[in-house]
Amino acid sequence: MATDARLVFRWDLDKTYLQSEFETLREMMRIPFEKAEDKVAAPGVAALIRGLRESALSRGRSLRVYFISASPPQIGRAIRRKLELDGIVYDGIVFKDQLHRLMRGKFRHLREHVGYKLTELLKARSTEPPGTAEYLFGDDWESDPLIYSLYADVVTRRVDPVELEALLRAIRVDPPLIAQARALAAALEPDDGVRRIFINLERPTPPAQLRGYGPRLVPTFNYLQTAACLYDDDVLSAAGAVQVARSLLEDSAYSPERLMNSLADIARRGHLRPAAATTLREALGAAGVLPAPAPPTLPERWRRWRSRRREAVGAIAPLPGIDYRTMVGLEIPADATTE
Amino acid sequence: MPAIAVDAMGGQHAPEAVVQGVADVSLHTGIECVLVGDSARIQQILEGVAYNPEHIDIVHAGEVIGLEEDASEAIRHKRDASLLAAIRSVARGRCAAMVTAGNAGAAILGGLSEFALLPGVHKVGMSSVYPRNVDHPGQDPLALALDVGATVRCDPIDLVQFGVMGAAYARVISKVEAPRVALLNMGHDAGQGGAELAAAHRQLAALAGLNFVGNIEGNELTSGKADVVVCEGLLGNIVLRLLESVANMAVDLTVSTAQRNWRWRAGMAIMSSGADRLRALADYASYGGAPILGFDQLIIKAHRRSNAQSIANAVKVAAKAVRDGAVREVAAAIAGSGTPVEKKKNHR
Repeated sequence: MATDARLVFRWDLDKTYLQSEFETLREMMRIPFEKAEDKVAAPGVAALIRGLRESALSRGRSLRVYFISASPPQIGRAIRRKLELDGIVYDGIVFKDQLHRLMRGKFRHLREHVGYKLTELLKARSTEPPGTAEYLFGDDWESDPLIYSLYADVVTRRVDPVELEALLRAIRVDPPLIAQARALAAALEPDDGVRRIFINLERPTPPAQLRGYGPRLVPTFNYLQTAACLYDDDVLSAAGAVQVARSLLEDSAYSPERLMNSLADIARRGHLRPAAATTLREALGAAGVLPAPAPPTLPERWRRWRSRRREAVGAIAPLPGIDYRTMVGLEIPADATTE
Repeated sequence: MPAIAVDAMGGQHAPEAVVQGVADVSLHTGIECVLVGDSARIQQILEGVAYNPEHIDIVHAGEVIGLEEDASEAIRHKRDASLLAAIRSVARGRCAAMVTAGNAGAAILGGLSEFALLPGVHKVGMSSVYPRNVDHPGQDPLALALDVGATVRCDPIDLVQFGVMGAAYARVISKVEAPRVALLNMGHDAGQGGAELAAAHRQLAALAGLNFVGNIEGNELTSGKADVVVCEGLLGNIVLRLLESVANMAVDLTVSTAQRNWRWRAGMAIMSSGADRLRALADYASYGGAPILGFDQLIIKAHRRSNAQSIANAVKVAAKAVRDGAVREVAAAIAGSGTPVEKKKNHR
């Protein structure tokens, strides 16, 4: 990645940034009436977004933070106020115009987010300069893994506009949105823009269920795991990761053991390289957030050297193709077209 | 809360059931578990189930002691076995207790090699819980029996110490102020059962602070008459296995009878909640685990056929015992019992 490439972070709101409760109809009905002060951010997320901005600015990198929500614009005021309260500086926020769909009698599309989110992402991408590196953040409640992965593959042209249209038809996306998505996809210059997709395991979905989306998609259980991967990608400084850990300890009653276990888990799952895990662990220890690790023994130092060397010489595995046809659960003829 | 080491590779359904059980605990409690065993395999199973990684650590151990393996041989030659590594993690202070559904003999020998006996304790006693009728509301539906296999034959003093240790443990776990302790025997008379049982009866009855209710016969085991039943290991093991098989037989009979004709099937349908209760009672594997008492550290031995629910219950029992200071309570009870303190070699 070019070090001066613009960084874009796109965040889902409910269940990703906010700890929204809408498992029951009553909880769902309550959301529009909640005040900003009543809304609760997921532990560590605000510290992470602030840390990403500080890291980018300190390195002279251009950065944009956007939010995309499937909630109606009527709750926008409370959301904006909440972000302000959390000290989040952002560059844009999009809501789903539910009322407009209701007026068109498209009741089914109220809960269908694939077409809406995908077109919004493609629209946003078309305004970014070439080479922009994107990080996407969602959750495991609705279709974020599918939407984000599909978007990433449309941007790279692994999924071409014709295939995209067939897939969107198969999942019964609102036809005007299909046409719009296809047109937007066709207008994009192919670009390997999406670096990682983080899925907050809020339910929590077993990580293996998301393996089909490939290593680009990282299922995370908390925002220290997300911060660790972003640290590994060199878009978050060690100080930024320390801020996230400190926020979890001080604001959300996490214990150092829970943080250490989280780091070990994300490393075992292969999303955090061992060398990065070690240096991050040392940084967190030096900052007094975690107990300082014992100085490495000679065999440990040798293992670390070997693992760093492997990481340095090892070729990056190509991203496997995602079988969207199976994922959407429908048989689509391979040559399906609009005509 | 200190962590609980869990032998991930021990038991008939390990490692799947063990990992699933620990994953369930991680989702619903704040108990930290350290899964000890083949780390790659554990991780693979974990990723296929819902879990909370914040409460789970994994420590690699490359060997497994099989359920049917000779315990003393295995202890000597498999130093990297998951069961021993889990015990070591307790001995070294990383964990506060360990849970295993694996080889019981290896758990005892491993404990003897890594832990110390509590001051005054002659032999460790392996306990087990079993279902019984309750005499009054709020009474624990499970009773504790020990020893069920750590020893073969016992001296009277060993039986007395089992009673003292079992009562102390029941006081902590079942919250019974004065658990009723009984000696398993062939009659109610104090002198029955031979010289050793008669001596044990006499000493138990003489102990101040112990609620000894006398002898209990086999047919009274499930009556709710005693909270702690004391016996030597050979007898305890046979009795427990017999209870288990009778319960299973009752379930099998009920099911097979109901299949004979539609009237009985209809009758069974009406009584289905009762049948479910019978099945639940017969499911020894779901009770979790019980401690090996006498060590200065805690080992919870779960049933070898433990399923995920059983492992989860065993971990919760271990955490509760740690939180409420069960080992400390047992040590204090032994110290206060006035039983002879000269050390003897612990043997099976």
